Formats: sequence, C-alpha cells, structure tokens
Amino acid sequence: MASVTIEQVRKQYGAVPVIHGVSMDIEDGEFVTLVGPSGCGKSTLLRMLAGLEDISGGEIRIGGRLVNDVAPKERDIAMVFQSYALYPHMTVAENMGFALKLKGQTKAAIDERVREAADILALCPLLDRLPKQLSGGQRQRVAMGRAIVRHPQVFLFDEPLSNLDAKLRVTMRAEIKELHQRLQTTTVYVTHDQIEAMTMADRIVVMRGGKVEQIGRPLELYDRPVNTFVATFIGSPAMNLFEGTIAEGRFLTDAGVTLPLPTDCKIGAAGLYGVRPEHLTIAESGAPATVVVVEPTGSETHVLVKLGSAETTLVLRDRVDLKPGQPIKVAPDPARIHLFTAEGMRVN
Amino acid sequence: MSDLALSTARVEVKRARSAIGSLRIVQTACILVIALVIVSPLLMLFVASLKDDRFQILADMGSFRAFWVSNPTLSNFAEVGNFSGQLAFGRYLMNSLIILASTVGFGLIVNSMAGFVLAWGSLRGRALILSLVIALYVIPQESIIMPLVIMVSRAGMTDTFTVQIVPWVASPLYIFLFYQFFAQLPKELFEAAEIDGASVFRIYRSIFLPLSLPALATVSILMGIEAWNQYLWPILVTQTDYARPIAVAIATFFGQDSIYWDRAMAASVLMMIPILALYLAFQRWFVSSFVGSAVKG
Repeated sequence: MASVTIEQVRKQYGAVPVIHGVSMDIEDGEFVTLVGPSGCGKSTLLRMLAGLEDISGGEIRIGGRLVNDVAPKERDIAMVFQSYALYPHMTVAENMGFALKLKGQTKAAIDERVREAADILALCPLLDRLPKQLSGGQRQRVAMGRAIVRHPQVFLFDEPLSNLDAKLRVTMRAEIKELHQRLQTTTVYVTHDQIEAMTMADRIVVMRGGKVEQIGRPLELYDRPVNTFVATFIGSPAMNLFEGTIAEGRFLTDAGVTLPLPTDCKIGAAGLYGVRPEHLTIAESGAPATVVVVEPTGSETHVLVKLGSAETTLVLRDRVDLKPGQPIKVAPDPARIHLFTAEGMRVN
Repeated sequence: MSDLALSTARVEVKRARSAIGSLRIVQTACILVIALVIVSPLLMLFVASLKDDRFQILADMGSFRAFWVSNPTLSNFAEVGNFSGQLAFGRYLMNSLIILASTVGFGLIVNSMAGFVLAWGSLRGRALILSLVIALYVIPQESIIMPLVIMVSRAGMTDTFTVQIVPWVASPLYIFLFYQFFAQLPKELFEAAEIDGASVFRIYRSIFLPLSLPALATVSILMGIEAWNQYLWPILVTQTDYARPIAVAIATFFGQDSIYWDRAMAASVLMMIPILALYLAFQRWFVSSFVGSAVKG
C-alpha cells in the first residue's frame, strides 16, 4: 500500500491540451473515485498513473517515489480494465498467475497466491475454465483476481462495471467495496456513473474538461457543491436550478416565481438558486406549479412540474395521487437551498 | 378474402415455387459441371499414376478410359520413390520438404514479428515502413529475380538449400497479413500484459502469437504452396541433384526423345500429398480466418 501524489500534471496530444495541471493527494489505503462526463480526462489521468500514457508536465509519485519515467511494470500497480482484458487462451488460473510467472516465482508459490485470491473472490470452481466460458460478472471477478494476486501498492480501476447489466453492477459494486475494506489497498477508480462514485468512494474527484472541479467526501460534494457543474452532476435526479435575483430577502426567478431564503441569509446577490428534488415538498404556502409527469418508483415518487417556465423535479417519499396538468404548490426547504453566482460559483 | 382471390393466390404461390425449383436444378447442374471440370484432371492424374504402360496412358487420354484402370499397380511409385539413382524422386521430395518446412517455419517467425512490431511496436516511422512494405508487395517477383541470381552466385550460394529458403522467408504480403491481424486485437490486452510485467517480446510470444492461429494457418498454407510450387528460381540456382526440388525434377521426365507419362503422373501425385496434408492440418483455422475477415468488416 502507498500514497499517491499528483502534482500539476498536464497532458497534451500535439498542440491539444487534455489535462490542465491536475493536483491531488491520495492517502495510503484510500478509495478515490475520478468521476466526470465523457471526455473530461479521467481515464487519461488514470492511464498516466498506470504509465500507459506519457506525462507532458508535472509529477506523479507513488509511495513517495517519482514515477514519471518509470515503466508500468515497475510501478507496482495493478489495473482492471473496462473490457477486463483477460488473456483469451489462458485459463482463469493462468490469467491470475501470469504476472507472478513473469516475476519468476515458483509454481507452488504461484498456485498458493492464485488460490488465496480465488478464495477471496469465490473463483475456486472456475480456475480451469477459459474466459469465454465465464459470465460477465465472473470475468470481472477474474480481472480483479488478476490484480490482487500481485499484492500491488495501488489498484487502478477503469470503468470496470460499465459492461455489466444494472443488477450485476450493484452486486459487483458491493463486492469491490468489500474487497477494499478487506485489503485496504489504495484504490483509484474511474467511472462516469455518479451513483457508483457516491456509494464506493472515500473521496470523489469531479473532473470537467481536463480540470478538477471539486475534491471531497461524497456527502460533502452532495451537500456543498462548489459550483453548478458539481451540483448538477452529483445527485440523481439532478439539482433544480432557477435563474433570478435576490430582492427583499427572497429569491425572485426570471419567470416571476418567488422562492424563500434562509432566515439568517446575509447574501445580497446571487444569480442562481438551487434546490435538490428531495428538498422540495408540496405545501399550501408554496409557489404555484403544474404537474407534467408522475414517475412512481415504488420507494419514492418523482414528479416533474412546471414552476414558472422552468421544469422542476420533486422526489417525494410518500405515494401521491397526482395527475398530469393538475395545479399544485411546491415549497423548497430554505435551510437546504444552494445559491450560486450567475457564473455558477457557490456563494452560500 | 373471397374464394376466387384465394385460389388466384394459391396459383401464384405454386408458380413461384415451381420457378424456384427450376432455378435450383439449373444451379445444381452448373455447380456439377464446374466441379467436374476441376476434379477430372485430378482424377485422370490419380488413375494414370496406377497404370504401368506409358503408351497406354497416352492412348487413353481424350477418352473415358483415362478415368479407369483395369489392373492398378504401384510400380510407378516404387520406381520414383528411390532416394538414389536416376529416378531419385524420394530425394527430390525430401529436398522439397526441407525447403517447405524451413521457409514456412522461418517465415512464420520473421513475418509475424515484423507484423507485430508494425502493429504494436514503439518504432518511429511505423506508418512509413508499413507503406513501404505495401509498396514492395506490388513489385512482381520475376522482375527482381535476375539481380537476385547475380547476387547469390557472387556470394557462392548457388546449389544450396539456403539459396532456396532465405530469399523467400520475408514477404510483404505475409507481413501485412500479420500486421492486419495483430492490429485488430484489443489494445487492452497489450496494456494488461505490460502492467503484468511482460516485455514486448514476451507479449508477442505469450499473448499475441497464441491468439493468431488463424493468421498462422493462413500464412502457413499460402507460404507452403508458394515454396512447394517454386519452379523458375530453383532452375536458376540449382545445377545438381543435391538440393533440387521435386517440381524441377518432374520436368526431367519430359525429355527430347520420350515422355515418361507413368512416372511423371506418380511423381505428380507424390508432389501433391504434402501440400494437401498441410492444407488439411490447418484447414479449420484457414477457413475461420477467411470467415472472420468477412464478418468483422
């Protein structure tokens, strides 16, 4: 296990910059998730960490050792790929033991380590099978097994659950988290799925356009996003945002809807008012809105309403009997609202 | 639907079925004729190789008797199967086998390595080298054969096995075939092996080569046929029986005074066996490589 330090790391493809001076410290044993939309540079950053991409500038340290020019095999890392990248002509046991074989370990030592990893991942009955004889979830476990037999200092995961169906993804998510809790190996995990990031990580790094937007604990990002990008990226359904101005202790949206502010609010100016769907309720004292769509999920009900001219989502814990076109009144919880400048930076 | 419309529809369906049936008969007949044209010379060859009268073979040609033998004998094979003497076809066959095995063996190593480096190596100017390789492919072999003859004779390499193997080991066509095959394998396999600690050569040997069985089979068969059927080059670079291949030796049956059809036929059958065996051995992967290239786009 080791800490990872990324210091002002840049990446350029020719004249095109894709990573613009990213810095972060990952503690020993920490589980950090890099999250962001497609093309934000999260996979490129992970690949630079693995040594699969050259670094155009800055420094990467693993366990205090500068690894900018160190070959991938000498970085003492293990990586799990989105496509699993299992060797198709090798059995599960051979796939898992390949790295150890290359290190020149004895057959007995390899067998012992492979069996140990197979025990952890419940792969023992599958050791003699070829990858094509396995299901998606089993292949994913083999890919993880191949990583853990090496006892690396850092695990790198590049969207490992993207090829799995929704149900299996939830199961594997829990397995990876459990594996981390058991091994306590420093882990960097790339995903575009914010639910995956929220549920698994000790800390989340939100990226956009090759830059870090915010680093923090999952609930910190959820409760106090530094800008509207993080506010809308983290959380599903996304945060509702209304453009407008603060006037006489209230927020007046451009569509003429008046929204409440906290009683102790000392902020004089803001251009955007944000409220999470679950912090909106149906209340007599609320602003008038019209129901557009009702989506019952079983545990909660998602209601899309027209509030002024803005489409707004509510997440209600209770089951409600609403019909499209029905007029209702919605009210935000003033203590849990978010205020941003017109440019999208947090002010409260 | 009315009864009239129903019966009209039935008549139409019957007509369509009958048209399809006729078309199938014509198709089958065409295929049979084509198959007959292809198979008949081979059949004639096998039948003639079992006849011991060369004048009878000549007389039978052009009639259906060419496809029938009343007293089959293996005497022609016994005569041409010697390893010494005037009819040392056993030896020529062995020479051809040595040339075939060496050319294919070294060829697979050299061409696959070159294809792998062009597909995955960190060599600068890979695209330029690949363009040159493709450009070399369009140059006809015959156009460089005379300069090659001069080169090998000045190097004192004539009348050896080496001179019949080395010039044909590396081939732009097979390098390109391997390049194409390796390039379509997922990048993650290379990267996973790199992270596992494998060197570039180890990745080639332990990961990519075992996955390239279809390409290996295809190149083995194509290269084997090419090496086996070499005629012009061995004529130019061999003067004695020492390294002469069977394709050249067969020509000696067609002398100025007489033609030994019986022995020529037996030698031709012998010549076919190894290349057929090679094809049968690799046929499964050979076919799959062509099917694969057809559906992968």
